[in-house]
Amino acid sequence: MNIIEIRGLSHRFSDGTLGLDAIDIEIKEGEFIVIAGRNGSGKTTLLRHLNGLLRPQTGSVKLAGISVSEDFVRARQMVGMVFQDADSQIIGETVYDDVAFGPENLRLERSEVQQRVSMALEAGGLIDLADHRPHLLSGGEKRRLAIAGILAMKPRVIVFDEPFSNLDYPGVKQVLEQILTLHQAGHTILITTHDLEKVLAHADRLVIMQKGKIVRDGLPNKIVTETEAFGVRQPCTSRLGLEIGSWLI
Amino acid sequence: MADLTAFSYHPGRSFLHLLDVRFKIIFLILISLTGMQADPPALCLLTFLFLCLIKSSRLSLISILKELRYFLVLLFFVLIARALSTPGTPVFEFKLLSISRQGLYDGILICWRLALVVLLGLIFVSTTRPSEIRTAVAWFLKPFPFIPGKKVATMIGLIMRFVPVILAQAKETSDAQRARGIENRKNPIYRLVKLAVPLIFKTFQNANNLAVAMEARCYSENRTDPDLSSKKNDWIAFFFVICLCILVVEI
Repeated sequence: MNIIEIRGLSHRFSDGTLGLDAIDIEIKEGEFIVIAGRNGSGKTTLLRHLNGLLRPQTGSVKLAGISVSEDFVRARQMVGMVFQDADSQIIGETVYDDVAFGPENLRLERSEVQQRVSMALEAGGLIDLADHRPHLLSGGEKRRLAIAGILAMKPRVIVFDEPFSNLDYPGVKQVLEQILTLHQAGHTILITTHDLEKVLAHADRLVIMQKGKIVRDGLPNKIVTETEAFGVRQPCTSRLGLEIGSWLI
Repeated sequence: MADLTAFSYHPGRSFLHLLDVRFKIIFLILISLTGMQADPPALCLLTFLFLCLIKSSRLSLISILKELRYFLVLLFFVLIARALSTPGTPVFEFKLLSISRQGLYDGILICWRLALVVLLGLIFVSTTRPSEIRTAVAWFLKPFPFIPGKKVATMIGLIMRFVPVILAQAKETSDAQRARGIENRKNPIYRLVKLAVPLIFKTFQNANNLAVAMEARCYSENRTDPDLSSKKNDWIAFFFVICLCILVVEI
């Protein structure tokens, strides 16, 4: 079953730049997709259409058969988005409050909010930090908090915009482990990056974007050798003709 | 950034932590108002009481004093200004400067009162979750039809959340400018402008990102708020605070 269906999606920014140019893509439930491309290729603009942060100027975006424009709250509940800059995503004054922000906006019962927050904090390994102030957390912890805030809304699709930027090696491993756990739990995962090295070993599908268009879409090991033509560095192991290895081994 | 810990919530299960936040706000107002008129014996009583509260809430007195260090400097200036400007029997004279006994007494009294009010505020913030303060503000503003209580409460919450981030950004911008030799420029207005422009730009950018992040998480004014419920202990504490206020005014 397709959880996301995008047809003829175009977006032009207010300065006249074309952000997306007639995008067509279908994503099946449970897929793990990496979307790569150089800066300004349209990755983030595409993701922001999935939960209605940007509205289609032409074309359509459907989630499980229903247009995003019909029900934005449903779209935002269904597609959780982890932003590139965790600091600007964290809203609560404490870790607990931040995770509770989404469920509280959904006007859930207090007991349900508490249950979801506990579940999300547990999943993110943040239970012991529940009363800490978010801006004192490390980079990796902040990213895990951003993920926990999304998890508490029980999304089916989780979208990560450059999830490894500004993280040290342990931070990358922690976040990658968490992403894989979420995928194993049945979530559909979409990751945008221009650094394939860290994540491509786990992806089912690689999509490459350039100038607002999808220029390649296929199995990672089939198209990874073509990435450099589109401004994305080919992973080292792939350059040496070896299989792409996981960062977790 | 890790040193920006002033006025923050410290988790716990003490008596103060468990009090209803609405009662705590009323106590804060009542004690502050009466404390500002208190004389030394009443101030001694309040100081002793606050120290007991700090101990029972498991807050560290040393870290509180550390957090209040800049405020203590301010109080020192208030004391000096008062001591120099109040006429009376001089205890110290140097050329045109004269410190009077009455001035010193008044200065110490004012500083003591101000210090206790700030200390009380710090105890309140340290033992109350920010989300509860937000909810209580919305609750107090509910009877006023022209004030959007929920919006005001959200704004307060965001300010509490963002002040440390803005301070950290200011430090980063200032460090980056010092690394490029801004200290060689002696004009303070030039330095202030050079710091303010990028800082304001970055702050607006952060505010925009925050608005998008809030929208992505279905932000609405009609949210599930923390439960506020008064218990027996709140009313007992209310009785004691009223008695304390009467005592402070009388002695």
